[in-house]
Amino acid sequence: MSRVEIEKKIQSENDRLAIENRKVFAEAGVLVLNIISSPGSGKTTLLEATLDRLADKMNVVVIEGDVSTERDMDRVRAHGASGIQINTGGGCHLSAKMVGAVLGQLDLGSAELVFIENVGNLICPSTYDLGEDIRMVLLSTTEGDDKPMKYPSIFHEASVAVLNKIDLLPHLTYDVEKVKKEIRVLNPDSEILELSATTGEGVDAWVEWILVKLREKKSTQT
Amino acid sequence: MHELSICQSMLKIVDSTMEQHEGATLLKIFLDIGRGSTIEPILLSEAFDVITSGGPYEGTELVINDIPISGRCRDCGRDFTYEELAVGCPKCGSTNIEITAGLELDIKALEVDD
Repeated sequence: MSRVEIEKKIQSENDRLAIENRKVFAEAGVLVLNIISSPGSGKTTLLEATLDRLADKMNVVVIEGDVSTERDMDRVRAHGASGIQINTGGGCHLSAKMVGAVLGQLDLGSAELVFIENVGNLICPSTYDLGEDIRMVLLSTTEGDDKPMKYPSIFHEASVAVLNKIDLLPHLTYDVEKVKKEIRVLNPDSEILELSATTGEGVDAWVEWILVKLREKKSTQT
Repeated sequence: MHELSICQSMLKIVDSTMEQHEGATLLKIFLDIGRGSTIEPILLSEAFDVITSGGPYEGTELVINDIPISGRCRDCGRDFTYEELAVGCPKCGSTNIEITAGLELDIKALEVDD
């Protein structure tokens, strides 16, 4: 009987494929955001509001991940995005392999921004690097203010947390400061933005935040 | 519920390691799974049993080192548990905290009969 040492991350193959995707994105000069949230927190609505402010200025590509249907892709196309829908057929997350498989079908050359809307789920997507520049977690006030400590992995991994549906705060028992504190405890470097994708409050600041990140990425590449 | 795909990724690593030990029988797989890794050890074990059923790894034992989440205050250096973490450092109240353990998702070693 003998022991064979391995010492390897189980996700090392996914991480390797994510590096390949990252190279493709870097060559195209696009900024890539991987948006992760529970179902119904407003990922697609935020994308629509974002596209309304950006689609006439630049080409935006969206990769939509859902278990089934093209509904989200139809919605973002109507707001000016190009892109592709990935149906995972029951899978609870996108992987670097799934994203890598569709990159050849996207018009990355003329685009500046790529949004990857992950499958609605706060757990599984946090373990899969897709090759993005920014991992973002979207949470909404209607989900309750106890989420960060209940789902620590995604809040630890995400470099920005966006709180949606702040227009509903007067009708809810939701402690924004508690949520912010829990996010900061899990990731002291996390940026936190608040907005309502429906009313538009805070969305201009969010779009400006993206544009700053885009300029930062371009300046590091040249 | 991505234990099935994590299990498949793990088995790819096991396969490539076992290829270097031709004729050996796999007895145990040692894993480090942090409680913040998003992987539930029971579900992983169930997925493993289903995938390996009828194959060369049937009956292999998954030895899972279940690692609690812990943190360290970047300001005062105090170490603490996850339960204490929600309100910040129990000593100085800072939220400037580093997660020091509990996010592992690693395959550490195999035990083989050769």
